[in-house]
Order: sequence, then C-alpha cells, then structure tokens
Amino acid sequence: MRHLSPCRLIRIAAVAVLLAGFFFVSTVSAEQAASPTTSPIMVPNPATDLWRAVRQREAPAAGVTQVQGVQSGVLIAKSGEDFRNYRKDDFIGIAGWVLAGAAGLILLFYFVRGEIPIPDGRSGKVIRRFPDFDRVLHWFTAILFIFLAVTGLTLLFGRYFMLPVIGAEAFSVIASASKEGHNLFGPLFIFSVLGMFFRWARRNLPHAYDFKWLAKGGGIIGNAHVSAGFFNAGEKIWFWSVMLLGVAIIASGLVLLFPVYGQGREIMQLALVIHGIVAILFIAGSFGHIYIGTLGTQGSIESMKTGFVDENWAKGHHDLWYEQAKAEQKANAAAGDQHSASSSRDDALSPATERT
Amino acid sequence: MTFGEFVDGPFWYFSAAVFVIGVAWRLYGILSMPGPNDLSTPRGSAGAGAVKANMTRFFPRATLLRRLRLPVVAGYLFHIGLFALLFFAAPHIDFYRDYILGFDWPAMPTWGFILASEAAFLGLMLLVLHRMMHPVTRTISRRGDYVGSILIFVVMLTGCLALARTYEPLRILHFFTAELLLIYFPFSSLMHTFSFPFSRGYTGAHYGRRGVPV
Repeated sequence: MRHLSPCRLIRIAAVAVLLAGFFFVSTVSAEQAASPTTSPIMVPNPATDLWRAVRQREAPAAGVTQVQGVQSGVLIAKSGEDFRNYRKDDFIGIAGWVLAGAAGLILLFYFVRGEIPIPDGRSGKVIRRFPDFDRVLHWFTAILFIFLAVTGLTLLFGRYFMLPVIGAEAFSVIASASKEGHNLFGPLFIFSVLGMFFRWARRNLPHAYDFKWLAKGGGIIGNAHVSAGFFNAGEKIWFWSVMLLGVAIIASGLVLLFPVYGQGREIMQLALVIHGIVAILFIAGSFGHIYIGTLGTQGSIESMKTGFVDENWAKGHHDLWYEQAKAEQKANAAAGDQHSASSSRDDALSPATERT
Repeated sequence: MTFGEFVDGPFWYFSAAVFVIGVAWRLYGILSMPGPNDLSTPRGSAGAGAVKANMTRFFPRATLLRRLRLPVVAGYLFHIGLFALLFFAAPHIDFYRDYILGFDWPAMPTWGFILASEAAFLGLMLLVLHRMMHPVTRTISRRGDYVGSILIFVVMLTGCLALARTYEPLRILHFFTAELLLIYFPFSSLMHTFSFPFSRGYTGAHYGRRGVPV
C-alpha cells in the first residue's frame, strides 16, 4: 500500500472538504430555491385562525401590560413574519450560492493552476517562521472557527439539508446541540481575535512593496517573482479582513447572546442579519485561506505544523523577510550570542533560528 | 433495556465502582510504598519540607515564569473553571443530589456558569495545543496524556451541547462520555488530581530532611 504522508493526507482532506462544501451548499441552495415557501414541518397549528385574526385586526401594534420589558406590550409583531420570510426566502439562498461560488472558484483555480511548487525545490534547510505560541493561537482559532462554522451552518441550512434526511426528531436534537455549542464557544472567539491582533498586527502594517505585490497579483498567476516581507499583501488583506469581520461577528453575536440589555426585536433582527452576512463572508474567505495554506502552495502548511519552513520556500515567497532573518542570524553569530538564538523560540520577532 | 437505561443503570454503577476502587487502590499503592532507607542524621524536618513543598509550588520560579506563562495561565483557567463547573453548576448539583448524596447546595448564577465554562474550554484547548506544539512538552508527553485531555474535552463538549436540558439523547451522551472518563481515570495521569500532594510531599520531605531549602 502506498504510504501517505501527513501533508498529502491534509491536501486530500482539504479537497474533500472543499468538494463536500461545494455540493452541500449547492444542494441546499437548490432545495431552498425549489421550495422557497414550503415548510418541511407539516404540523397544523390548531389556533391558526385565532392568531391570524389577532394579527390582522385593526388596532395599535402595542397594547398595555403590567409586564415590564422591551416591547412586552406587543402581542404579535408583524415585522417578525417579514423578517422570517426574508431569512427563509432570500438570505439562505444567497448565502448558499455565495459559499458554493467561493468553493467552486477555488476548485476551478486549483484544477487550472495546480499546486505552486517551492521555487527551486526543497533545499533541505529550514528556517523558523512561527514560534510555538503563534501556532497555538492559530490552531486554537482554526478549531474554534470550524466548530462555530459547522454549528452555525447547521442552524442556517439544517432545516433544508438535514431535516428531510434525518427527520424532525433527530434534527431537533442536533439543532439544540448546535445552538448551545455555538452560544458557549462563540465568546471564546473574542480571545482569538484579540490574541491575533496583539500578536500579528504590527507585522501586517502595509509597506510600499505590498502595493507592488498587489499590482503583480502576488505572482500567483504566472511565474513572476514578487518581493514580500514576513506577510505578503494578500495575507495582510486577509488579516485585516479577519479583524474587521471578527469585530462585527463578535459584536453582533453578543447582541444576540445577551438579549437582556434593552435591545428590541429590530435590533436583534439586524444583529442576526449582520451576523449571518459576516459569517458567510468569513467562511467563504476561509476557503481561500485554507486552500492557499494547504493545496495551493507547497510547503506552506509546514509553517503552522512545525513552525519551520524550507529556506527556498522563504526565499521564493517572502524574500525580504528571509534576507532580514539571515542578516539577524549572521549578526547573532558574529556577536556570539548563542543564548539569543536558542531562546528565540518564544520571541515572535526573532526568526533567525535555523536547523537542517 | 435501552441504551439510556443501560447508561443510567448498570454502566453508571460499574463506572462509579471502577473509579472509586481504582482511585483507592492507586492511592493505597502510593502510600504503602516503602520509604527511603536513610540512616543519616536529619539536618531538617522532613514533615516541614513536605508541607512547604505543597504550599509553595503553585507557581513556577520567577526565572521560569516567562517561558511558562501559557501553560500556567491556561492551567489555572482550566482547573478553576472545571472545578466550578463540576461542583457548582446547577445540573451537576442536581445529579449529586439525585444519584449520590441525597442533598444539594446553592448553584452558581448563570453568568458564573458562562464564565467558568469559557475559562475551562479556553484553558483546556490551549493546554492541549501547547502539548502538541511545544517541542519539549511534546517529547515528554505520552499517548495517555492526549487521551485523558481529549476525553475530558469530549465530556465537557457533550455537557455543553446538552445545556438546554431538553433532549434526553444529549443528556445520555454526556452521561456516557462522563462514565467512560470515570473508568479511564484511575489508570491514567488524571490521577494527579489526587496524587499531586503525595508527589510534592515526597520531594519536599526528601529535601527537607537534608536541610535543603524547599
């Protein structure tokens, strides 16, 4: 039996995830588009006529009640039905196509461009790129993100995709579990975003060479060499997108999670729409991030797996950082500062540790 | 017998028995080990050394703290969070009352529960990732360390998923994973829950008797 290396397994898994995601959202969108108004739960409400009469009566929207609370005098909020229909008929379908489109484009790009090899092949020498803490932070965020994405997509699409397959009883269990899991794990994302900001913001500040990188399309189309620092312009755009989307998704999530601070239905509905839009953009963007880090570029995943990258990879993709790291290494060696080199594992700004 | 009845009945009694007997057996094994045959004149108190080592080793030395910030902070978050969840979360107190003790005590408020669970999950995830990423910690870790951590994570996760307390399958799943943990506990490094005072005490007594500052 042919031996499968971990890198190859990760690549195969990434293709499988992309394909599964593509077919998943395509199926959901198609099903949703085919029956946009039909509820899969066909349980007639015995009080339908009564509540329809209440909803359609001519009276002020809000009545009087002794119950103290935001909009507690509203017996039936008509806007709620409009919102429900918008979410069901418009939002879910568009969201499905956005995710399917992103996954499809990446697959298409992969089949056209293929994996970008390490320029000049492996050198056999590696250079440290990420210290342990950065990798812990990255994988913590990744695990959290995947869990939140899976539970969130279950809540968004599950009614159309899972319920017809597994039935209402099983789906209600999964939906409840997804909701509780999503709510409890969601606030942890605050730590991820804050951690990434404090750890990587300085290195993601734009420089003049980033604009040249962007003008040449990052060299991903064609084989032209494009200079880049520790992070290239594409990574910087992704980083600041994550910060922006992260703040939006956290803020809207907290509004939804703690509905006890006076926010009314309109605010909650707005928060839900923002949360959904941002989540879909986030997940679609993450497809690209995962693709470039695994299938798209040979050797990239190693920076987050081991903390080290091949020197030719560093020269080819981040030459300015590579030169700076080598210069630092030489300076340290000249100063006989062995302590600095050996203790630099914990220092994000000292990449000059080399091993062969 | 359904799976739920099995989990609530025979499997619960079996796992609880394995846990109690296993932990008692391991502790008996530790305590019944023969002490060192040291005939030299003591230069200090072994007992005082044992007590001091137990009381003063909750933080690493200042010189090591910078390198150990992540495991120390994550460790405290996880252990304090888990302790609070285990003994002061309302569903657990109900469980102790109904299945073991017959009485209960006040549960922590909802905000406390949320804080404790966030701290526990954050701490555990960081600890497991640190174990996987840090070259030294990874080298000295055994498969059992990962199994124990992941099993605890699964128990916490299933508990979190069952939080609505509405669906019986989710409660049974949480019970089942917790019972697996009880069975695994005595045979694993999770025994440090009970054995750490003896381990620290032994080292402290060893040095205390020789007059080495602990």
